[in-house]
Amino acid sequence: MKRILNGNEAFAYGALAAGIDFYAGYPITPSTDVYEFFEKYGKDYGVKFVHASSEVSAINMIMGASIAGARALTVTSGCGFSLMQETISYMAADFVPSVILNVMREGAGLGDIPRSQGDYNQMTKGGGNGDYHTIVLACSTIKDCVEFPSIAYELSEKYQNPVIITYDSDIAHTKEIVEVPIRIKNDINKLSYTLTGNINNNPKRIQNIYYHDSDYNNTLKNKYELIEENEQRYSDYFTEDANVILVAFSICARICIDVVKRARAEGIKVGLIIPITLYPFPKKVFEKINNCKKIIVVELNILKQMRMDVEYFTKFKYEYYSINSMSTCETVLDILNFIKEHK
Amino acid sequence: MYEMLCAGCGHRTAMMILDEIIKEKNIKEKIIMALDVACCSLLIDYVDYDAIMCAHGRVLDVTKGYKMMRDENIVISYMGDGAAYSIGIEEMIHSARRNDAVLAIVINNGLYSMTGGQVAPTYVGANVNAGVNVNVGVNVNVGADVNVGANVNAGADIIRPIVVTNVDTEGTKLSEPVSNDNNIGFKIENIIGNLPISYFARASITDKENIDTAKKYINTAFDKYIKSGGFNLVELLSPCPTNYKLKPVDMVNVINNGWSKVYKIGEIVNNV
Ligand code: SF4
Repeated sequence: MKRILNGNEAFAYGALAAGIDFYAGYPITPSTDVYEFFEKYGKDYGVKFVHASSEVSAINMIMGASIAGARALTVTSGCGFSLMQETISYMAADFVPSVILNVMREGAGLGDIPRSQGDYNQMTKGGGNGDYHTIVLACSTIKDCVEFPSIAYELSEKYQNPVIITYDSDIAHTKEIVEVPIRIKNDINKLSYTLTGNINNNPKRIQNIYYHDSDYNNTLKNKYELIEENEQRYSDYFTEDANVILVAFSICARICIDVVKRARAEGIKVGLIIPITLYPFPKKVFEKINNCKKIIVVELNILKQMRMDVEYFTKFKYEYYSINSMSTCETVLDILNFIKEHK
Repeated sequence: MYEMLCAGCGHRTAMMILDEIIKEKNIKEKIIMALDVACCSLLIDYVDYDAIMCAHGRVLDVTKGYKMMRDENIVISYMGDGAAYSIGIEEMIHSARRNDAVLAIVINNGLYSMTGGQVAPTYVGANVNAGVNVNVGVNVNVGADVNVGANVNAGADIIRPIVVTNVDTEGTKLSEPVSNDNNIGFKIENIIGNLPISYFARASITDKENIDTAKKYINTAFDKYIKSGGFNLVELLSPCPTNYKLKPVDMVNVINNGWSKVYKIGEIVNNV
């Protein structure tokens, strides 16, 4: 069925399509539409809903539901996402799957609610204590918001690791026509590592400190190596012959698509790379580049967080430029002019 | 049996009670043990049940998430007093207010044990000899307020509360009962006693008689939880001889003659 939905609503339908069984959350702008959706309609779809006493509580209920085999979801923003980090770190260390949506807020501290991509480092470098990563999927279209939850649950169950889906508040509140897929039913008994009770005299344990074991460190290391090898995702436009390549995700990617169209119409060879997985960073796509000398990273944070990854993963061999600010997107024409000035 | 624990540790007794009950009820296949960190977590390699080690203070949330998905399972929330009443007090209140299906065992030894014996909200102290109790009371108050420090002993106790002197191994005498003083020891019934919970009982796990009583209460909590869910909590006054620097037998005396006068023992809430 086709519907007109904003990013948050589309995400809620996407999560339903992915078969979620359980939602625990705490309201925070700009993510609250999803909370309200499940509070109102969760029952109709058989999704158990809890208003947790905090984000800390919500993420721990998610962990409990996940180890019971549920496809469990929590949705948050900014400070709420920070509050969840301890348990996200636990889940990565404990090999527990889960999906968390972080609709990014602007700034540090309380910050504010305009568009922002300031959580890039927090999401891609771990975010909590210790040695771990979460897989991070960034939505740039409302269609992505519908489709990524299913991909996220599959990845999280395959690698037994939390997956973060993210976008900024422009994507959260932009409406587009999308196809809403049919809801699948999750089978809570499908995963071998789900805790069911000790039925076969072989107790299953979820832990990240081993008093007697083991090869735990290597198992953990292998997990991230496999993810980095197999799960790099991206979209690329006109990169093969481009002289200048833009790198952008979420709302910035939307703007950059128009930049590429206009530039090409004027005969300027501009390409675009949209990372879909922010972690693992899609470095493979850069290996296909031929003529390009210049890379422009367009992002919504003052510290040029993604640019550092772009430089590192392309081995510092291009000329790098940034178009970045905390919450105001440059227009298509601004970016086009920037390209012309730096030709 | 549970050899990673210290000699005389209350966790061992508590686990043996649980093991017995689970065996008697023949419900091993349904059990999920959710353990808090530190000394609780030492149990993970020994329990014969599916088990999870939770983040500190988060046991009740994890078990609630689990129980909502698999109502047929029996999920034991096993935690220390620091987890239950300090860092995890918010979710304790949340669960009690909602009367969520909870089967919780709280090991109350008044301390953060694995980190070396820092005072928990439940701290009462180990020195229960006549007259010294007053100091113990002051220590607890001062524990939250370093500036009060007029009492040099108390000041020292804040940093290192486990200075035990003069324990009477013959069975300590308690000349001034302190059980009416609500400032001593954190009593969870003052917080959740009026919320719509199913069951709250407190026992000590020191000697045969007390252990039998503890088992009776835990059994009741199991029965109520299995029959109709609801919030069921049993708190166990529990020895930690290592941090109180006492022989196990002296620790037993401290609990029987000291803590058990401060904390009410018995079935404190028992709603249908
Ligand atoms: S430190 Fe205390 S609580 Fe921990 S195992 Fe030893 S006796 Fe038990």
